[in-house]
Amino acid sequence: MNDFQWAPVGPPLPVSPPPLPPARVDFTGDRGDFRRLVTKGAALELVTFGFYRFWLVTDIRRHLWSNTSVNGDAAEYTGRAKELLLGFLFALAILVPIYLAYFLVTIEVERFQGFASTPLFISFYAFGQFAIYRARRYRLTRTVWRGVRFWMDGSGWAYSLRAMLWGLLVFLTLGLALPWREASLERYKMQHSHYGDLNGDFVGDGWTFFKRGWWLWLLSPVAIIIFPLAPFFYAEFKARQWRWWLSGIRIGGVSLESKLPHDAFYGLYWKVIGWTMLLSMALGMYVSICTALVVKLGGGSLEDVVGGDGFNSIPLLALTVIGYFAMALAFNIVMRVYLQRDLWAKVLETTHVHGIEAAANVRASGELASALGEGFADGLDVAGF
Amino acid sequence: MSDVSQPIAAAEQPPRIAIFFDGVTSRRREVTLALLDQLEIVETGEAAIRWAYADIRRADSPAGLLRLSCTSAPPLARLEVRDTQLASDIVTRCARLDEHRTSRRGVAKIVGWSVAAAASLVAVVLFGMPLAADRLAPLVPEALQQRIGDAAEVQVKAIFGGGVCNDPEGQAAFTKLVNRIRDAAGLDASVKSAVLPTSVPNAFALPGGKVYMLKGLLDRADNPDEVAGILAHEFGHLKHHDNMRGLIYNGGTSFLIGLLFGDVTGSSAVIFASRSVVEASYSRDAEQAADTFAIEMMHALGRSPKPAAELMYRITGKEGGKGITILASHPLTEDRLARMTKEDQPPSGPPLLTAQEWKALKGICGGSGKV
Repeated sequence: MNDFQWAPVGPPLPVSPPPLPPARVDFTGDRGDFRRLVTKGAALELVTFGFYRFWLVTDIRRHLWSNTSVNGDAAEYTGRAKELLLGFLFALAILVPIYLAYFLVTIEVERFQGFASTPLFISFYAFGQFAIYRARRYRLTRTVWRGVRFWMDGSGWAYSLRAMLWGLLVFLTLGLALPWREASLERYKMQHSHYGDLNGDFVGDGWTFFKRGWWLWLLSPVAIIIFPLAPFFYAEFKARQWRWWLSGIRIGGVSLESKLPHDAFYGLYWKVIGWTMLLSMALGMYVSICTALVVKLGGGSLEDVVGGDGFNSIPLLALTVIGYFAMALAFNIVMRVYLQRDLWAKVLETTHVHGIEAAANVRASGELASALGEGFADGLDVAGF
Repeated sequence: MSDVSQPIAAAEQPPRIAIFFDGVTSRRREVTLALLDQLEIVETGEAAIRWAYADIRRADSPAGLLRLSCTSAPPLARLEVRDTQLASDIVTRCARLDEHRTSRRGVAKIVGWSVAAAASLVAVVLFGMPLAADRLAPLVPEALQQRIGDAAEVQVKAIFGGGVCNDPEGQAAFTKLVNRIRDAAGLDASVKSAVLPTSVPNAFALPGGKVYMLKGLLDRADNPDEVAGILAHEFGHLKHHDNMRGLIYNGGTSFLIGLLFGDVTGSSAVIFASRSVVEASYSRDAEQAADTFAIEMMHALGRSPKPAAELMYRITGKEGGKGITILASHPLTEDRLARMTKEDQPPSGPPLLTAQEWKALKGICGGSGKV
């Protein structure tokens, strides 16, 4: 569910109509710049125990937004890391009493019936959906094109209720209802999204999405058996989802059209898998070398160092933890370069905007949203981008 | 991309063309700039807009484009300059152009504050939480402890197949044993205990004054002193409010450690690992204290604490060398045995149960009791 949440924010966009040729969407960001940005960010995230994440995520968005141009004019992201930090702190202040209340309710319910409190988890899922909606609202109100902001109204709780009911239906139909869920939720989000005084809409329908992807649903058991097929299936699904989603977006008289090929993401996912394997092998070799060194220097036998249930040597444990961190760091960089930057670029280069002239003289409007939603999303671990 | 056309009267040399968005509408305005004592933005047929150089700030833009905002203009008003010569002319005039951007010093500040925040969280985990847990645990209302205990009891019984062992003679012997220790411990009659029918050799205390012994432990015990020492240890946990202390401490540290590592990918593993280490050390301290309590109780009853440690050793075997000791929730059994052996002394009081009663106790779960 990850990429979809932030997706709506993307490129400000456009439309379809008269004989004018469609406007182009371009991504002009330099890949090297982005790589340096996320490498430095990952390192700082490590030395700041993760607190740098607010700055890193802001820098990533600023890079992606400002290098995305529609009809020649580049977008801009005006959100700032301090807003995210504050949103996170406020969200904590609100979540702490909620966690406590959750704890007390759990006790009462458990007294009544063992393990009866499991369904309470559902309340956290609902809260997560609310956070997703509010986080999107924050990102959208920080998205500027031609000196005018996007903005959103609507209610996070109304959205959450929809998401829950549709989620239940998807669960009951073993996933078959997913396209209709996506269409309904997207409609809610887009109909409450605005660019200045233009109103958004979403015209994609579940049936179209279903027709494009039903065979993937049918074949998914095959991917579980023949494991190497899974990335192909997933890439295929994501590409079809993106294309359907983008092509359904309307903002006033502006409409988007995506010509994303169905195989567009194969390479990206395989590169990520390749890097992951490479990194795991590197970690494995590193740990073996460390073990050999510790055994040699410490003079003990292999069994003394790695006995019974795990490591027995504190130095080896420390070295392993360092190796683990280095790998997590490298993995983060790989994910961000391929699955954020490269994926973004691939999606944009196949997107066209029709009727852009409808956005030629839009009047600014709408309120800025706070970053509280992003804070919840962070606190609940549901945020995407 | 701006094709320039209209010749402009204003400026001296080449036409200084830029694109301007006024931040109120999305209209793309072709404007000419005049670099006077202020930056003058002129759209044909409109009144000139003036930006003081000191108010001009750089906004994010793609490479090859200078994008400016102005603190005294609408916040989203943007001026875009593509001509490099013109751009550098403007940049040299705007002394505070990049003032708002995160500098190297800014990053150092973020790192500094993060490290300080992390250090303070670690200090709270290591020193603040144990203190808070010790002070708060005795203050938790009895009713709440009772409720937590009831909830845990429902789960425990579900896990161990429901029901308690209740052979009447065995129950009588068990009650006698429990009462003797309880009285010595100075706990009131609200303390409940029972034997659960499962072959797992263990015993534990729950909040609200409940102590459970599992049949597996009873089966492996050779005499009443062994069982009594273990029960005394569990009563020690009750006496010290260890359940509530653990609950407060573990809840608090999980929360703080989660806060510390946030969402660095893979952090769940880190959170889990650091929690395990911190909580295990706290738990080892609590176990040590409960052992101390058990030793005192057994001495007070005129019995030796050593048999209980022997029973534990029989069950776990030698533990050192297995696994990581910093992750163990209890002190090593051999260390506990050594400690209780030191405290060994010949019995000075009467046996806690008669041979008859001991036999009955072993059979509390129904016929299967072997002596």
